[in-house]
Amino acid sequence: MKHALTAVLERNTTFTADFATEPYEAGWAREARWFVRTLALEGEEPHLHLATQVSPDGLHWCDDETPVQVTTEPGLVTWRVQEFGHWLRLRATLRGGDPKAKVLIYLALKS
Amino acid sequence: METTHVPADDLRRALIAADPRLSKFNPLPRILAYDEFNTGTHGWCELIGNHDGHGNLDTVDVHMRDFRPPQLSACDFFDIGTHGAMSGNYALKIATRPATGHTAVAIRRLTMAQRGVIQFETYFTYKGEAATEESSLGNSFGDVEWDGNLHPSEAQFGAFTVATDLCDGDGIRYHCVARYQNTDLDNKFTRRWIYPTVPEPTPRENLHNQENLSPTEDFTAPDPKDWRPIDDKPQYLCYNEVPTKVNWHYLRWQFDTRTRTNIELQVNDRVMDMRHVPVPQYADKYEGLENLLNFYVSVRTHSPVRNFLFLDSALISVDW
Repeated sequence: MKHALTAVLERNTTFTADFATEPYEAGWAREARWFVRTLALEGEEPHLHLATQVSPDGLHWCDDETPVQVTTEPGLVTWRVQEFGHWLRLRATLRGGDPKAKVLIYLALKS
Repeated sequence: METTHVPADDLRRALIAADPRLSKFNPLPRILAYDEFNTGTHGWCELIGNHDGHGNLDTVDVHMRDFRPPQLSACDFFDIGTHGAMSGNYALKIATRPATGHTAVAIRRLTMAQRGVIQFETYFTYKGEAATEESSLGNSFGDVEWDGNLHPSEAQFGAFTVATDLCDGDGIRYHCVARYQNTDLDNKFTRRWIYPTVPEPTPRENLHNQENLSPTEDFTAPDPKDWRPIDDKPQYLCYNEVPTKVNWHYLRWQFDTRTRTNIELQVNDRVMDMRHVPVPQYADKYEGLENLLNFYVSVRTHSPVRNFLFLDSALISVDW
């Protein structure tokens, strides 16, 4: 049977500035899927930009080839990632006037 | 109950000795769980505080909502790449945030079919995160000045804990707990095994105490004064100087749910008698936790550096 694991990397966390999730080691997984539940997105024309990042060591990071996701309202967004090496994290950029985002971030992994 | 006779016991021991997976353990007669992390997390999951009837996670105690999801780690490092574990490629990794006082916790939930002696064994290692140019705190930290051998990373590791949450048919709830405190809150080496003298505050106790909780509260026993050394002797473990070398240590811990007491803790060549270590009970009787048998491992950083606890494998056995 294949292995599957869901990790909750942020839980009802409110951000008012750019952030990155904690490093997550997942070299065993062949495929990954991000689920980002935006519970609240406030401010003047707020935008939440979400970029998948990869790393050779869990210390140094760069964006992978996955297109950046843009969220402008509360709700659930998802996208898939493959061939990501051993480490994954999400880099989030907040745009707009006094933006504030409250999010849950799930990483669903399968071998 | 059937009694094991001697030839059967000899055969059992011979079978364990001949099995490369079990031979490194010393199980009691019945193995409840054998966890090798090449085949998943085996039920070790993130601990979280309780939430309300609306599923509102904002109602979780602030110090119990960010214990971090465990990872299946190949022990990857920046200098050599994959280190690998002891029994295979993967270990269970519990990782804190890089925030002083942050705790990460993985829990495994069982119940007791009988009361008796319970033993938890594991091969573990503990590390601070390697530094980068941006995150480095320099060549001097706590008691350590880098001299080519000694490395400041060792002083950046706070503590790890092996613990339980137990409740029996009489509604009596208690925790057997042992913590290796590598450094004190001033980052000075203590290298002591310590235990809490108070039971862990519960969500009900904290329900009307939210304004007094901090996200980095030590949930096992918040007041540092409520911890005592098991004995006066420090234990030197094999950190192996730098943050990127992992050496696996053996830990064996026994307690008795018949008497609700600790028995002993073995860590490599040191066996500590824990019979004198008190196990505080909650004053109130509990409902809904019949025969609760939870194990948790936690790691707590005393510095702004991520701290990691790795388990190569774990074995839970009982005498019933």
